[in-house]
Amino acid sequence: MSKKSSSENSDRFEYLQTLVTEFQDTDSEEAKEQVLANLANFAYDPNNLDYLRELQVIDLFLDMLTEENENFVEFGMGGLCNLSMDPECRDLILQNSGISLVTNCLSSHREETVLSAITILMNLLTPSSRSEITDPAITQCMLRFSLSESPRLRNLASVFLQDCCSEEQVNRAEQQMQGQQSAVGIPLPKD
Amino acid sequence: MAAPVNNKPGCWGVPEVYKHHEQKKVCFSRPKYREGRKAKAVKVYTINLESRYLMVQGVPAIGVMTELIQLCALYGVVEEYRPLDEYPAEEFTEVYLVKFQRLTSARAAKRHMDEKSFYGGVLHVCYVPEYETVEDTRLKLQDRRRYVVRTVHNKAREKQQKSASEQPTSLDTATTSETVTTRQDQTSHNDETGETPNMCQYSGFPLLPLPPQEHYNYGHMNYSGATPTEDKMGTLHNAIIDTKQQQPRQSTSSSQAPSDRDPGQRLTSNQSSAVRFVPRTTHLENRKRKMEDMVENSQTDEAIKNKAFIGPKLPQPPKADMEDESLNTSVSLIRNTMKQVGAVPDLKPVEKKVKPRRRI
Repeated sequence: MSKKSSSENSDRFEYLQTLVTEFQDTDSEEAKEQVLANLANFAYDPNNLDYLRELQVIDLFLDMLTEENENFVEFGMGGLCNLSMDPECRDLILQNSGISLVTNCLSSHREETVLSAITILMNLLTPSSRSEITDPAITQCMLRFSLSESPRLRNLASVFLQDCCSEEQVNRAEQQMQGQQSAVGIPLPKD
Repeated sequence: MAAPVNNKPGCWGVPEVYKHHEQKKVCFSRPKYREGRKAKAVKVYTINLESRYLMVQGVPAIGVMTELIQLCALYGVVEEYRPLDEYPAEEFTEVYLVKFQRLTSARAAKRHMDEKSFYGGVLHVCYVPEYETVEDTRLKLQDRRRYVVRTVHNKAREKQQKSASEQPTSLDTATTSETVTTRQDQTSHNDETGETPNMCQYSGFPLLPLPPQEHYNYGHMNYSGATPTEDKMGTLHNAIIDTKQQQPRQSTSSSQAPSDRDPGQRLTSNQSSAVRFVPRTTHLENRKRKMEDMVENSQTDEAIKNKAFIGPKLPQPPKADMEDESLNTSVSLIRNTMKQVGAVPDLKPVEKKVKPRRRI
């Protein structure tokens, strides 16, 4: 038993390393997208998290969030969404100023990217990060999302408001919404 | 939080067509090493896309709802289901919504039913998280987080136990031999020499002789060092016995029989010599020089190695110690192969009916 798993483990690590190397070496956008999607899907399995941390895939995903290519952003966010479930990865994301990078993605046109952003923010919630994550601008954004046409967005934003924010915070954000609004979460104009 | 009035928040409202229901285009431009078993699109799965609600499209409209739900129930408890009459469907097909009790069931059902034929139609199964309630979504995320934390925790504990057992190397021989053999495996997996002995040990078929040039390469050492010699009765019986004796040693890698401590310790002693790098040619020369001594010492050597062996022993051919794991493996491989080749006429297939192990 232990024999099989140990050799499988080293194989898996080598394979992931090959993926990261290809991602760094290739000039083809298409190949990059495929590899990125691959890595993001590997991040779904908690058994791979040690390897992905070792290969600094978290930084790789975070780098993708400021890319022009929307697929890069979506897949990077998907990967972070999968990784951030793990407390150790969560702390690494927090250390690398993940909150502001992820918050920026709330303004994406793509629903999957926005959904990932909400889930990541919920995963990043710790006693020390709470104030930054429940910032009035973000809370307002979640309030708007909770009125969205899309049931998935609506549900997820509702969970955020109910589980992460205090009632007082939500009320304050509602009041503020009557007056001036924050721009967080409003899709940027397409060019 | 208050949902728009016209948008029924309940999970059984009027269905809408979402982009993620569509089957994405399959990607054909992947290099070989990234190609999976199934053709797949470039897509990232997150917990947000998954759901215990599944939509099954392409069900032939011939009244097979019961059969469909029975099929679904193979993968887990189905809590609710209904046809989605309002959902745009292809001609003569129906669309169904199936709510499983657990996400894992939905996952299994999707994996096994998607793109499978069903009463003459081909099913398209996808997650439909938009049918979730807020509570469904919350529980889904909580379950996922709990699962990840549990898995990571278990893995860390496993690792800790492993490293704890690896530390007291000199104290506990039983555990060391075990850890060493596993490490041994990792290395032997990398080079071919580690793989091949398994193959000849486990295949029930007599082996074909090696190609002539390989014979030539190793021939000298082999014949001088370890030719299967006829015993006094004029048979090669001892050669067969020898392969049987070696079998447990080779198979420690896979089975780790607790009684085989001896070979484990042998590996430990070799491990230290394997650390330093010595060119292969130097090894070969050293071996040549030591060859004569080895022949002389061989009898006592054997006695030390096979301590566990009780009872009368048949004379065995001397074994050369190359003082290097890789060389030793090659030598034992060649020796075994030669013995088996030599033993082929004597070998009755019934005698060695070991089931060939399938490597998956």
